[in-house]
Amino acid sequence: MTRFLARNLRDWRLQALAGALVLLAMTFVVSTVTLTRNMIDVLAVVDITGSMNVRDYKRPDGTPASRLETAKAALRDLVSRLPCGSRLALGIFTERRPFLLFTPIEVCRDFSPLDGALDALDWRMAWEGDSRISAGLYRSIEMAAGLGTDLIFISDGHEAPPPPSTGGPDFEGKPGVVRGFIVGAGGYGLSQIPKFDDRGRETGFYGETDVQQENRFGPPPADAESRPGYEPRNAPFGATAAHGTEHLSSVREPYLKKLAAETGLSYAHLDGPGGLLAPLMQAATPRPLPGSLDLRPLLGSIALGLLLAVYVVPPLRALRRRGGSPPTSWKKV
Amino acid sequence: MTLLSRLGATLPQILWLLPLALLPLVVCSQRRTLVSAIAAAPADGLSRTIGWALRLAGIVAIGGLILALSGPYRSGETITRTGIGAQISMLIDRSGSMNETFAGKQPSGAEESKAAASRRLLADFVGSRAHDQFAVTAFSTSPMLVVPMTDRHAAVRAAIAAIDRPGLDYTNVARGLGMALPQFGAGAAQVSRVVLLVSDGAAVIDPKIQGPLRAEIAKIHPNLYWLFLRTKGSPSIYDKPAGEDTPQAAPERHLDLFFKSLGVPYRAFEAEGPEQVAEAIRQIESLERDPIPYTEQRPRRDLTPWAYALAMAGLLVLVAGKLLEADLQGGGRAAAARTAPDDATDERRLAA
Repeated sequence: MTRFLARNLRDWRLQALAGALVLLAMTFVVSTVTLTRNMIDVLAVVDITGSMNVRDYKRPDGTPASRLETAKAALRDLVSRLPCGSRLALGIFTERRPFLLFTPIEVCRDFSPLDGALDALDWRMAWEGDSRISAGLYRSIEMAAGLGTDLIFISDGHEAPPPPSTGGPDFEGKPGVVRGFIVGAGGYGLSQIPKFDDRGRETGFYGETDVQQENRFGPPPADAESRPGYEPRNAPFGATAAHGTEHLSSVREPYLKKLAAETGLSYAHLDGPGGLLAPLMQAATPRPLPGSLDLRPLLGSIALGLLLAVYVVPPLRALRRRGGSPPTSWKKV
Repeated sequence: MTLLSRLGATLPQILWLLPLALLPLVVCSQRRTLVSAIAAAPADGLSRTIGWALRLAGIVAIGGLILALSGPYRSGETITRTGIGAQISMLIDRSGSMNETFAGKQPSGAEESKAAASRRLLADFVGSRAHDQFAVTAFSTSPMLVVPMTDRHAAVRAAIAAIDRPGLDYTNVARGLGMALPQFGAGAAQVSRVVLLVSDGAAVIDPKIQGPLRAEIAKIHPNLYWLFLRTKGSPSIYDKPAGEDTPQAAPERHLDLFFKSLGVPYRAFEAEGPEQVAEAIRQIESLERDPIPYTEQRPRRDLTPWAYALAMAGLLVLVAGKLLEADLQGGGRAAAARTAPDDATDERRLAA
């Protein structure tokens, strides 16, 4: 009796089955282990100035989509992909300052109001028409520092009115203190900017004379002397009206990259309604938060492997021993 | 039927492995023993039964494991219940003057700005009753939808936490109302609906907008509360101007008159300090004591442990079968068989 029991105990298949049994029993005891996972806290500031209404993106069905719509879709996509426990604060930008809509909201538990708020972003929330992006960016960085978050700043980089020839204001903070990235929204080719009346109805596109083509505050640019009608006192910018393409818009990537370099942020181009997660994970500060890992799938798969081995290995071995030909007769009882 | 339709799996792809559970029908887990003729052994009912039991146990064990790995669950259900609360659409002034104190100065030291006071008191208000639903709209020059109607109070508090940030320019009440009203959606009409306007000033409501606004309010029929944060020295809602009594001369008074003319329950609270704001909020809370249907999400139930338990039951039988495995031949032959590979033969041994 003991002999056949001992023989059975030596059988590797019994050992495998017993191993599987132990693993299964373990699923009831050690189901999860705690470990730290990296969450992200981020402030998203979205430019909602007029140039963000330019329709130079395409929806999957081929109809044109505006930069703002695409940016919204990208943020909603980001929120749905962020690891649970991450939080997002939202601000909008026009004129020269960001306006905080809400402080960070958790992306999983409070997903539906967060998603609804992102969906409600509208250019009609803008309170002034100017778009001084450098000033807005600097103040967004301050705001993110105040909230203790990273920053995503979505803009097309189109300053209105155009910055003076001497360049815009300088960044006075310390570069790199706030981490994050600037997202350049818009196509690389020039497109027309839609125009709206005071009731919010679209009335056409901006023409060349509708917008300021050159900033004539401050000292004149270096080439002013060669302009027609130049006169140092009475016409320091030349005597003719400025011509240009300020009424058309494209993503001003070199400008945004320059701003990013000055402020210690990184830069990414918005290629469509998504794709913000990878650059964010790269640029953001990882914030370790205790999470849990379910061990049961691991234990269960090993147990399944052992169990299947018990059934599959012997016939395979037999097969090999016979030089590949299947067993001639498997009689079942 | 309904029970079945609520079952689901986190990783349904894994269920494609389920045919593997039929493996025990094809191969046996027990040792094979060499016998010259199977017919030499008499047909034995008990052996047959045990053989089938072992096969069944194998099917159950493999199937249960695959099922467990797919993460089975019974999906949660949404139960509608009735509680006490209201749908509250908050319309919050974020004009620059909200960042001043009730005395009309920049806050210094322990002084609290109007925005900071309302932030603190409103944050306490949100979440003091579990079944209130809130929407937050901010307005100054233009209205901004901050958080749509939701019962997630943490999100609402996050929106309220932002209201003492530097504000913008003007107080455009009409457009703000235009955005706060649609937040109620098309839901049940018997729910108590509240528009709570928090502002420190008023503006002339364009006569052109008055008509549509009136129609909208008549349709939604909300209870309207105006929490007027009055700065020291500024006119009260109830002050008649000395000169001409026009909306331009006394916008607060005329906004109050406009609200009164709407034909909906309306109350104005004039607060000249944080204590009065707190008192006003308390009163609003006590006025809004209507039943509200709310949905409770029963969490989904993880069925994985059950699947593991099933697999374990199967495995126990298999292990027992292996443990009690005996060879057809006697003990002496078993020792000899040990030297030969266990599974070299074609004929399967009988389970016994």
